Amino acid sequence: MPAVSVEHLAKSYGNAVAVRDVSFEVQKGEVFALLGPNGAGKTTCVEILEGFRIRSSGQVETLGVDPADSSTQRWLRSRIGVVLQELAIEPFYSVRQVLTRNAGYYENPRPVDQVIELIGLGEKSDARIKRLSGGQQRRLDVGLGIIGNPELLFLDEPTTGLDPSGRRDTWELIKRLAAEGTTVLLTTHYMDEVEALADRVAVLFGQEVVASGTPESIGGRDVGAVTIRFKLPEGVSAEALPVAAVPREDRYVDIRTEEEVRVLHDLTGWALAGGYQLAGLSVLRVSLEDVYLGLTRTETGADEEVAAR
Amino acid sequence: MSTTQLPVRGSFRGASDVPLVWRQVYFEQLSFWLNPIGAAITIGFSVIFVVFFESFEKHSSVDFLHINLGQYYLPAFMAYGIMAACFNTMAISLVNRREMGLLKRLRLSPLPTWMLMAAMLVNWMIIAALQIVLVLVVGLFYGVHGPHQVGLFILVVIVGMLSFTAVGIGVSTLVPNADSAGPIVSLVFFIVIAFSGLYYPIKSGTGLATVVGIFPIRHLIVALVDTFNGIPGTSVWNDILVMLVWAAAGVFVGLRRWDWSPKRG
Repeated sequence: MPAVSVEHLAKSYGNAVAVRDVSFEVQKGEVFALLGPNGAGKTTCVEILEGFRIRSSGQVETLGVDPADSSTQRWLRSRIGVVLQELAIEPFYSVRQVLTRNAGYYENPRPVDQVIELIGLGEKSDARIKRLSGGQQRRLDVGLGIIGNPELLFLDEPTTGLDPSGRRDTWELIKRLAAEGTTVLLTTHYMDEVEALADRVAVLFGQEVVASGTPESIGGRDVGAVTIRFKLPEGVSAEALPVAAVPREDRYVDIRTEEEVRVLHDLTGWALAGGYQLAGLSVLRVSLEDVYLGLTRTETGADEEVAAR
Repeated sequence: MSTTQLPVRGSFRGASDVPLVWRQVYFEQLSFWLNPIGAAITIGFSVIFVVFFESFEKHSSVDFLHINLGQYYLPAFMAYGIMAACFNTMAISLVNRREMGLLKRLRLSPLPTWMLMAAMLVNWMIIAALQIVLVLVVGLFYGVHGPHQVGLFILVVIVGMLSFTAVGIGVSTLVPNADSAGPIVSLVFFIVIAFSGLYYPIKSGTGLATVVGIFPIRHLIVALVDTFNGIPGTSVWNDILVMLVWAAAGVFVGLRRWDWSPKRG
């Protein structure tokens, strides 16, 4: 049984379509990322899976139950953790007080001290929340998401607002949770975050899934043309190469090919025979960002910005 | 990490939930007292008013009630304390919590809605009760005596707390954003309370008494003054009924318009 199952999910607010015909599954223990521009429907999907919003149509299961079923919501919410897109913490409590309060809501919470250590707020544990920096509050937000020791963790843009160090720390925490078996459903705008964390990714655009797969293969990244790039040896022109190449301004050349093994063989054979160095030789596949931008371009070339509500 | 078991249905787990309610009450109280300025303003106003009016007006008499003003102001400002805590501060706090996303976070936790509501109700009842006790202590210092009909007095206090909490919840759902919570709720609070007989007694049967008789605070003031002083020939049941009708209206509006998410209107 998957941790999350979504089939033909749709959600509308009056005439405004927030999500249309979205389907995907998240397996237990998996880190699954939902990518998409603002208004693509990521948060709506997540909120439906959390049981916070009611879907218009389609089938949804979270940990084997319908999240819209009010009779099992207390059970379900004791098994999920949620990190919201926007900070929401009472300003007058201390770090320890708010974590202690929330720990009491769950059947098998993590020890408060363990969570304080995991989120790196040991020295601030007795500080009032209003005295914390934005990044520290964001880390506390993550702490509130994991205090219940969840089977399934929803992270809605969890590193937005964090500095690079804070982002890396949060990534390490997510990797650790995943290694312990926690299923993670992540929404993010950051491609490096997806590549660092996600086992699989789905791209939402125009309120529907336009591509899904592993970060390495989505959008055909693992197949198709590659770019072979190197610096031309001194005294050699691009025309002298054994394969057709496009010169760049920096004396590098690009060779676009779908037969990288044969082309590399021809090139390296030619270089060895002539005694040339192929400085900076690299094989470049299309980046995740290129794939994402290709999938989320409108006909006018701009990212679609659709206000869901 | 917890492991999946067969789903347990229902949001009420019987007696095992009672300690959880009190735990939530504790954290609601903690949140209130951790903001000492806000707590002092909420608690202190009724005491300051009572000291002021008892110091300067206590010997004037209210002929139609056959009591002096000292005996009138004490229960009247208890009514003020109940409305200030259970309606004014509660509604503003609720709007702020909604607009800050705090209600949404609680909604996504296993804390059942009924438990949150029960804890909030008890929290504001405790704060209102504290004001009543403080006002009573100040009144004793000024030689005021009462309550004379203790059982009915306590009943009126409890109904008043329930009624204003319900109305406060209903009104909070009509406030579109955090910035307007204070002005809207306080405007309703001060206008209604000013003409309902808080600062000066209003004789029943007059035009003003009939108009303000629509509002629950008028009935809370009258019922508390009557039971505190044991005024003969009076009955609080009509006052209790009006307050309960307002409570029902508050619950109705609250259920219809309740939103866990920020409205940001």
